[in-house]
Amino acid sequence: MEEALLRAVLFGTPLLLAALGALLAERSGVVNLGVEGIMALSALAAFAVALDASPYWGLLAGVGVGVLGGLFLGVFAVTLRANPFVAGLAVAAMGLGASGLLGKRYEGMPLDTPLPEGPLALVAFLLALLLHYFLYGSRLGLYLRSVGENPKAADLFGVSVEGVRYRALALGGGLIGLAGAYLSLAYRPSWTDGMTAGLGWVAIALVILAAWEPLRVVLGAYLFGLLFFLQFRLQGSVPIPSEAFAAMPYLLVILVLALSGRSRAPKALGQPFERGR
Amino acid sequence: MRRLLVLLALLLGLSLAQEKLKACFLYVGPVGDAGWTYAHDVGRKKAEAALPWLETRYVESVPEAQAPSVIDRFVREGCRVIFATSFGYMEAVLEAARKYPDVIFAHATGIKRAPNVATYMADFYQVYYLNGLAAGALSKTGKVGYVAAFPIPEVKRHINAFALGVRAVNPKAQVLVRWINAWYDPAKAREATEALLSQGADVFAFTEDTPTVVQTAARKGAYSFGHYTPMLKFAPDRVVSGQIIRWEVIYMDFLKKVREGVYTPKNLQNVDYFWLLQHKAVEMGADYGVPINPKHVPLLQKARMRVGDKEVPVYDRIMALLKDMSSPNPTFDPFAGPIRDRKGVVRIPAGRKASLQELLTMEWAAPGVVGDWPGEPR
Repeated sequence: MEEALLRAVLFGTPLLLAALGALLAERSGVVNLGVEGIMALSALAAFAVALDASPYWGLLAGVGVGVLGGLFLGVFAVTLRANPFVAGLAVAAMGLGASGLLGKRYEGMPLDTPLPEGPLALVAFLLALLLHYFLYGSRLGLYLRSVGENPKAADLFGVSVEGVRYRALALGGGLIGLAGAYLSLAYRPSWTDGMTAGLGWVAIALVILAAWEPLRVVLGAYLFGLLFFLQFRLQGSVPIPSEAFAAMPYLLVILVLALSGRSRAPKALGQPFERGR
Repeated sequence: MRRLLVLLALLLGLSLAQEKLKACFLYVGPVGDAGWTYAHDVGRKKAEAALPWLETRYVESVPEAQAPSVIDRFVREGCRVIFATSFGYMEAVLEAARKYPDVIFAHATGIKRAPNVATYMADFYQVYYLNGLAAGALSKTGKVGYVAAFPIPEVKRHINAFALGVRAVNPKAQVLVRWINAWYDPAKAREATEALLSQGADVFAFTEDTPTVVQTAARKGAYSFGHYTPMLKFAPDRVVSGQIIRWEVIYMDFLKKVREGVYTPKNLQNVDYFWLLQHKAVEMGADYGVPINPKHVPLLQKARMRVGDKEVPVYDRIMALLKDMSSPNPTFDPFAGPIRDRKGVVRIPAGRKASLQELLTMEWAAPGVVGDWPGEPR
């Protein structure tokens, strides 16, 4: 039991961080479908720097690449007002491809000094609380939400819509980068092409299921982690085929979050903002 | 005169260049995936380095549906031998073989041949048995963990060989199996290992494409056996041994025979490599040339097991069997009868060993295997 709860938190952590990153951007009105690619690039950057310098510099590099990834998406989705869904998918594909290409020489190398998972998991949990406070208890959070709900009104009140969205993408990117660094420095201290294995997409789905609420994202991420572990813990002791068990985390998380209340997206989500239109 | 000499030298050079044999490789995954395709590419590189008359070329990450067009390109570029390294390329290879009757094809893990299509495979079951002996000796809890990719005969054969080894040392031991239904999924491999650790497993073997099991087990101080490529570096204190592939042995043998004219596009109908320890196509080891991590040799020397009516150190038994199975005419085989499955049904009768057909279609579970076993015969 203790073991299961520990796994819930430790495997839920990368999911939680990535989902918080996506959530932050989406509350400002920008859909970030690039999570998977940004995470992969950050994981690679973190691992490469950790090998040459130290895992702490690696962590910083992962966050840094995440911030850059968020800003890169911003250029297309905010400044150029490209379709944010297409831009995000492009970032995801590019990130995966580029990390695979650049990471060839790091394949199959061990990291001698991995980071402990526990402290990072605690940081992730505190970040979720902080994000909740930021969104609902601070003036900047209010600006961010208003930009996501009604950018025209926010603009009239003198809030820079583009500025807020860029900052949200950058900060969110940093969180996604932290998720990537957690994967390659702590969760599984090594680098292989495609090591994010779809976690980025799960994170995006989680944000929607958790109705864009940081605290519900915490619940969803840990629940997913728990069920992911249990599918192997219970395999063989219950007469259910292993393939059915593998679907359990996805199904139950959808069920629980769907039953736990309303879901309303930020009103301006996915709409590029242009003054005067 | 000088011009003539230069011309002659040029012609000679050209004709030598023409003498080169061009072999092309069709890969299903990226060469850097540290698993299946990576190992084939290591084999390709080693063959090219060792054979001066060989020229190679490869295309990676080829989906099954794209295989025909890549094969067409290979043939246009003058490939005389084409290696297709995934089971899923079977139809594409057979089709192309009809289209290009002068090109030699070799299909890894394939089961259908033609006059110009050979099949090849290197198998680990003997090595798994030997590692099972070591695992049985090292487990204190009597529970050995096995993280497995897919419930297909190849993986089942390996788990069974491993479990037979474990039980030969400790007749009460259990091999706890968890399927992750993926060849490559670090998160599943990690959580499956965690689940087994929480159930008391203290030694690990696996079949999947990453060193995740080795890394995860080592964090909790559990022993493990690497798979496919040398994995000692991922946990120098905890990796005991492992299964290591040597595709270059098969590639070099095959290509030499093509060059010498032994293999032609007309006589491959019965050419099927199922190469084992005795052919050096597989190796037991924590690393190349390190059958057992020296750190764990004393423990294995201290552990005893019954062989016939004698008590022998497990280490001696492993080394003796390794030597026997590596010799040209092995006397020992892990699947020598009588062998019953975990339900008590006799699967291999006394007096003979499993046939190649029985090995390739193995669905039953060996005694001591605990866990879900899709496709288990009633």
